[in-house]
Amino acid sequence: MFDIKIVTAGNVKLVGRLDAAQAEKAQKIFRGFNHPLTADFSELDYISSAGISVLIETYKRLTAAGHAFRLTNMKPRVRNIFAYAGLDRLLQIE
Amino acid sequence: MVVRRFPRTVGSLETIVSFVHDFLAERGIDPNHAHDADLVIEELFTNMVKYGGGEAEIAIGLDAEPARLTIELRDFGSAEWDVTQSKPVDIDTPLEQRRPGGLGLHLVRRIAENFRYAYRDRTSIVTVTTRLTP
Repeated sequence: MFDIKIVTAGNVKLVGRLDAAQAEKAQKIFRGFNHPLTADFSELDYISSAGISVLIETYKRLTAAGHAFRLTNMKPRVRNIFAYAGLDRLLQIE
Repeated sequence: MVVRRFPRTVGSLETIVSFVHDFLAERGIDPNHAHDADLVIEELFTNMVKYGGGEAEIAIGLDAEPARLTIELRDFGSAEWDVTQSKPVDIDTPLEQRRPGGLGLHLVRRIAENFRYAYRDRTSIVTVTTRLTP
């Protein structure tokens, strides 16, 4: 199960497991955002390379348009995956 | 080793997670400790689905030791491709210059305690050992 909840304009919460089976759904939703965005990861239990690719694409697109893309409240095991990918130093993770 | 076969589609991932977590729960191991194992299996399975060239369902085998899980994936009728020798990802490359691809196997290499490949009877056999950690 995976879902993206709209908390307020510019604030979303990722919920569940963002794996290869859910990446297309996530990509469609993220492509709809064209403003500064903060994504709360506190309820995301799992992410794989397919999910990370969606976030990289979103980060590139938003920053190219001059918008910030912040990733917050990651569980340690999720944050570890970003660290293994070398992305903890490249993305705005708080 | 407990083995089950899965259709070669990413739509199998949910069933695969259930298989792994049920396997662990039946042995008194907290399925929440399977994060690394879930990731390794997903990356290797989706790699076989996309690039393996196999003809049949993909077999996944599990064998648990204390705090450790051995995982074996078999892609029958596949081409020979040693995934342990895939090109490394340069994680110091700026995002803007990164090309898609290769991240999944990079994560497997980073996480796995052991990562082996064999090719027999037109079957790719990938064996990985991961830690079961909170």
